[in-house]
Amino acid sequence: MNHPEIWMVVAAGLFGIGLYSLVIARHLLRQIIAIKVMGSAVFLVLVVSVGLIDGALDGIAQALVLTGIVIAVAAVAFALALVVALAEQTGSVSLEPEDQDRVDGG
Amino acid sequence: MTWALIVDLLLAGGLLFLAWQALVGGTLFRGIVMFVVFGMVLALAWAWLGSPDLAMAEAAIGAGVTGALILVAYWRLKRVNSIEPRDCSPARSRVALVIAVLGAALVAVVGLAAVAALEGEADAARLMKDALPDTGLGNPITGVLIVFRNLDTLLEVAVVLAAYVAARAALGTATAQLPLPPSKTPLLEALVATVAPVAVVVAVYLLKAGSQLPGGAFQASATLAALGVMLVLAGRLGPAPDAGLLTRIGVVAGTLVFCVIGLGALMVDQPVLAIPGIWAVYLIETAMMVSIGLTLVLLFAGSAGLVGRRR
Repeated sequence: MNHPEIWMVVAAGLFGIGLYSLVIARHLLRQIIAIKVMGSAVFLVLVVSVGLIDGALDGIAQALVLTGIVIAVAAVAFALALVVALAEQTGSVSLEPEDQDRVDGG
Repeated sequence: MTWALIVDLLLAGGLLFLAWQALVGGTLFRGIVMFVVFGMVLALAWAWLGSPDLAMAEAAIGAGVTGALILVAYWRLKRVNSIEPRDCSPARSRVALVIAVLGAALVAVVGLAAVAALEGEADAARLMKDALPDTGLGNPITGVLIVFRNLDTLLEVAVVLAAYVAARAALGTATAQLPLPPSKTPLLEALVATVAPVAVVVAVYLLKAGSQLPGGAFQASATLAALGVMLVLAGRLGPAPDAGLLTRIGVVAGTLVFCVIGLGALMVDQPVLAIPGIWAVYLIETAMMVSIGLTLVLLFAGSAGLVGRRR
């Protein structure tokens, strides 16, 4: 990790792309993926911001991110179960009505 | 321009490109595939940044298991409703762009300020390194997870259990649909017969090695979960409407063993969650490996239990 600044810019870019997709996407699966990408950006910030200790990354930050990765998959699994249940009960895979374009004048 | 900088820039550009490909435009299926590739490149980035533990976890859980979960959900949604809603109007895209730029700027400011403020070694890291040899562990990450900050890890196992219970509640009593296993072929049989035992050996090795080297309970559980997903897709494990006794014990084992050892410390006048020795680390990690691996497979199958099938 010679250039932590590069990784902070990457994290910012990933967060931005994720946020952009979260707002414009209608499909709930796409929104879940967007949140996952934003989470990865946060993990990058967490690990890189602590810096190097004797040439190795900080163990505490790595352990916290490791915990975060597993919690993220559990949260995604729950979110996916909700989406599948929503689709089975309403036939829709989005939280917005299909004719939203006309409503907001786009 | 040094080689290290070139690799930094290649990984950085690759991650941003893949995230864009996964999230903006294109069909949803293509987006999911790109997301899995993104996870793999992120795993490479963790390895490059010097964290093999995170690299293994990201590749196995962040890309592998998450990708499998999203793909099977995509398949289930296709059966209900094949219409993919279009992305929203240009007017909202412009608003989204402003929000995204502001969000990215916030992360950049926080991150760059944190990098600029770095000086020397953090107190917590120094204390941890000094105390690590006393635990008998060589891998600082396992030390933090199981000994120093084990309340986080205990709560995490509980979160995985809670997510499983919540997902079961959301799906109701119905057993979710699964793709039909392919018809019996010599290739598939050989693959299952070869990969299954190797995966078990790899998982146990990762667990054992995790005390001194990169690895540990999470990487081991991800290996077991991947094995389970393969067995479900090959038709060797099928969904069962009810959880048997073994399944129930397996799902709660991690939380239970962790709590029992953590509270047991009180009986020998130690603080709660004091880890009595290296044997307890292995015991807790084994229980966590079984619980998390089994829970992830059950979440993939969308069923309360699993039943073995002879083909």
